Amino acid sequence: MRLRNRSAYAFLAPYLLVFAAFWVWPIIDSFLISFQNTRVNPWTFNLSLNWGRLFGDPAFYNALENTLIILIVQVPVMITLATVMAVLLNSPLLKARGIFRFAFFAPVVVGEVAYAAVFRLMFNVDFGIINKLLGGVGIAPVSWFADSHAAMVLIVIAVTWRWAGYNAIIILSGLQSIPEDVYEAATLDRVSRFKQFIHITLPLLKPIILFCVVLSVIGTMQLFTEPYLITNRGGPGGGTETLGLLLYRQAFQSTNFGYASAIAYTMAVLAVAISLLNLWVGREPK
Amino acid sequence: MAELSLTNIVKRYGSLEIIHGANLEVKDGEFVVFVGPSGCGKSTLLRMIAGLEDISGGELKIGGRVVNDVEPADRGIAMVFQSYALYPHLTVEQNLNFGLRMNGNPKADTDRRVKQAAEILQITELMQRRPKQLSGGQRQRVAIGRAIVREPQIFLFDEPLSNLDAELRVQMRVEISRLHKKLGTTMIYVTHDQTEAMTLADKIVVLRGGNIEQVGAPLDLYDDPANQFVAGFVGSPKMNFLQAEVADSQQGRIAVVLKGQRDIRLALPITSAKVEIGQPVTLGVRPEHFLEAGRGDVDMTVDVDVAEHLGNTSYIYANVEGGEQIVIEREESRNTGNRDKLTVALSAAKTFLFDSAGNRLR
Amino acid sequence: MKSKSKSTLIRSIALHGLLAPLAIIWLFPIWMMFVFSTMPDYGIFSPGIVLTPSTGFMDNFRNLQADTNFVGAMTISIVVAVVYTCLSVLLTSMAGWALARYQFAGRSGVIGIILGTITLPYSVVIIPQFIMVARDFGLANTWVALIVPPLFNSLGVLFMRQAFSMMPGELFDAARVEGVKEWQIFLRIALPLARPTMAALAIILFLASWNNYLWPLLINSRPGMMTAPVALGTLIGLTRVSWGGIMAGAVMLTAPILIIFVLLQRHFIAGIAAGAIK
Repeated sequence: MRLRNRSAYAFLAPYLLVFAAFWVWPIIDSFLISFQNTRVNPWTFNLSLNWGRLFGDPAFYNALENTLIILIVQVPVMITLATVMAVLLNSPLLKARGIFRFAFFAPVVVGEVAYAAVFRLMFNVDFGIINKLLGGVGIAPVSWFADSHAAMVLIVIAVTWRWAGYNAIIILSGLQSIPEDVYEAATLDRVSRFKQFIHITLPLLKPIILFCVVLSVIGTMQLFTEPYLITNRGGPGGGTETLGLLLYRQAFQSTNFGYASAIAYTMAVLAVAISLLNLWVGREPK
Repeated sequence: MAELSLTNIVKRYGSLEIIHGANLEVKDGEFVVFVGPSGCGKSTLLRMIAGLEDISGGELKIGGRVVNDVEPADRGIAMVFQSYALYPHLTVEQNLNFGLRMNGNPKADTDRRVKQAAEILQITELMQRRPKQLSGGQRQRVAIGRAIVREPQIFLFDEPLSNLDAELRVQMRVEISRLHKKLGTTMIYVTHDQTEAMTLADKIVVLRGGNIEQVGAPLDLYDDPANQFVAGFVGSPKMNFLQAEVADSQQGRIAVVLKGQRDIRLALPITSAKVEIGQPVTLGVRPEHFLEAGRGDVDMTVDVDVAEHLGNTSYIYANVEGGEQIVIEREESRNTGNRDKLTVALSAAKTFLFDSAGNRLR
Repeated sequence: MKSKSKSTLIRSIALHGLLAPLAIIWLFPIWMMFVFSTMPDYGIFSPGIVLTPSTGFMDNFRNLQADTNFVGAMTISIVVAVVYTCLSVLLTSMAGWALARYQFAGRSGVIGIILGTITLPYSVVIIPQFIMVARDFGLANTWVALIVPPLFNSLGVLFMRQAFSMMPGELFDAARVEGVKEWQIFLRIALPLARPTMAALAIILFLASWNNYLWPLLINSRPGMMTAPVALGTLIGLTRVSWGGIMAGAVMLTAPILIIFVLLQRHFIAGIAAGAIK
């Protein structure tokens, strides 16, 4: 038996090695770097340099505000949409379920760069298909890239388009795991279908929806590719610069690793805090 | 030589001790059955012999060699599992030769062993099939074949027939018995079914709560149980137990009266035990040991509750005047209906006496 | 009876009436990507609305190749994704196997840490990873840099662990009694039985590697060693570039995955859903 356990370590070792090197150590290191002055060579410890800057930096607050706005708008919209999609997909009346599933799930498969490119073309102010279609129903062309509000809307649309289907599939599998007889019992009790949905389905789906919310929060906190590629590096003028983008800018364009690490840790703490908040709000009443 | 010896074997999980000092000697070629209710520790004991569980205390010897820390594969054992544990992605033939192949056994020898095992178990036609294409009985045979191929000194069976239906179980039981006669290897067999134990074993080990209650040949356990638990466990239908009281105690004889029916008095030939007048005791009578009225040592009239007639045998569920229910097994009692009164006789020679702790009074 | 089937019909129409437009909206960008890739640039930037494909794909492809060596980048992406997927499936299977079927000191600790990492966002580690790989190891613009760091995916380990825990223990006990060594048990019994799970995992990992943007962007920015998404990305910000070419690149980037997805939809979805349920 002891011999057996030794082989367990052997099986675990390669993964654990990579894990320790590329995850555990970086987490610690990131924390340490955030307390260092990385503008000098060699780096020195300066406890308040980066963190102090963080709390007074308008660029940081701008990025934080943008990120939170996207979070607050996009996550609920997307989750609701995903739930609606899931419910519709679950209907026994549906024909060609495979096609619909494909349609909603395909955005995830497409990949960030490709879809960012398409969206950039589609929302082009002068020649983009979206403005042309809007013109067709009498709406003036929207300045998607030069107007910060429009740019934010664009980002929200893009991210929602990308992830709604993914979450819909997850919620769908949750729906499918609810046993039929629960609904049958309710129908026998003459409970309307709508009430069934509110009082049976939604509560039973709560853990799955919470899971999706947490995933979305973590993802949105780090949003990078969309503002980088679609709205041209957080344009206009930082109007869509997210924390993820700010991190990238500080770390790899200004090479200020110390400050960037402070930003990174703030993002992580925020993400975990919001997730925990979600879990706490959605906890089972005792 | 394939003798097995357990000396003070103890098993602990953390601070919980589940096997309390088991001692056992198994001779070469014996068929030993571990039997007992669920949770009695019989499977744990078997797995310790196999080497799949660590031994917390005591000494295990196979063929005179201490094997406490020896790997299962080096103990000279082979095991047949309850769920057969066949490799689902391999054919029957590959299942049989898997272990040997993995150990680099020469191909010619491996093929010979596999062929031989297949012939003994009559599964040669199934060699290229996968487990999911086999019936329960066939899978069972492949599992046994896998064990035979190892040419072990000791076969271990962990409730191998539990997953089969009743008819198949009887058939496989006979085949296992035949196998033992043919191979002559030591076999240790775990089951909760006392019928399997009685029919297959040279020696039965009855376990309860991590303790060995009694070890002996099947008929010895039947005729001479060491305590109330063994008496109730061996034999089907279960032995009847009646509450009684010591009425008189003289040299070599103890007289008892039934608590619920004080006019029933039986004198039993008990020599060694010491009892007091008035001491509560338990009387044990097997359903098949009731005699016809007048043919035994004392008569007893009971109220028939339900009578089951199975053709040649009948089972009568009746109430003794004190309210206790007993089962009487008799041949050809078709004329006994429900709610009749029936008089039967008890025979002192076939009646057992137990004290209030369950120990047998001899 | 009649009214029931009538209301069912109405509900069915409503259902499809809702879903179909939604599906069309959802597929629209992908369709447009395809359409744009076949149109010349002046066509893309013309005033009219064109919703059907044209014939200019090869021209756009040539433009793309002129702007950047996209075929080369695709090759790199393919190789990286394949090697990464194989290595990652192997490593996570081994780790999942160890965590599922062995009781050893520190086991729950390891599981706890791995679970914990799922909640932490990736951005926390990216800077030190970059410093480590680029500066300390000097491995910028190499294959190793693209393949090794992402190997630590935690979801994979938990996935495989789940799969292995569900296998009957007696199977492995039987093998041990037969003298089969632990690594043989893993390779010859556990892995073959875990094939479906491994397939689902492989698909997810391949996709992740194929589409990965941020890390390759950082670490492999030399034109000869870029992955396809990064290569495409460099074109998006430029002013004098063929957008038709970019679209052609987007289609090339997407098409293989989309095809695999259509063929293996069930596995994909089973994988994602199963990961979530856990």
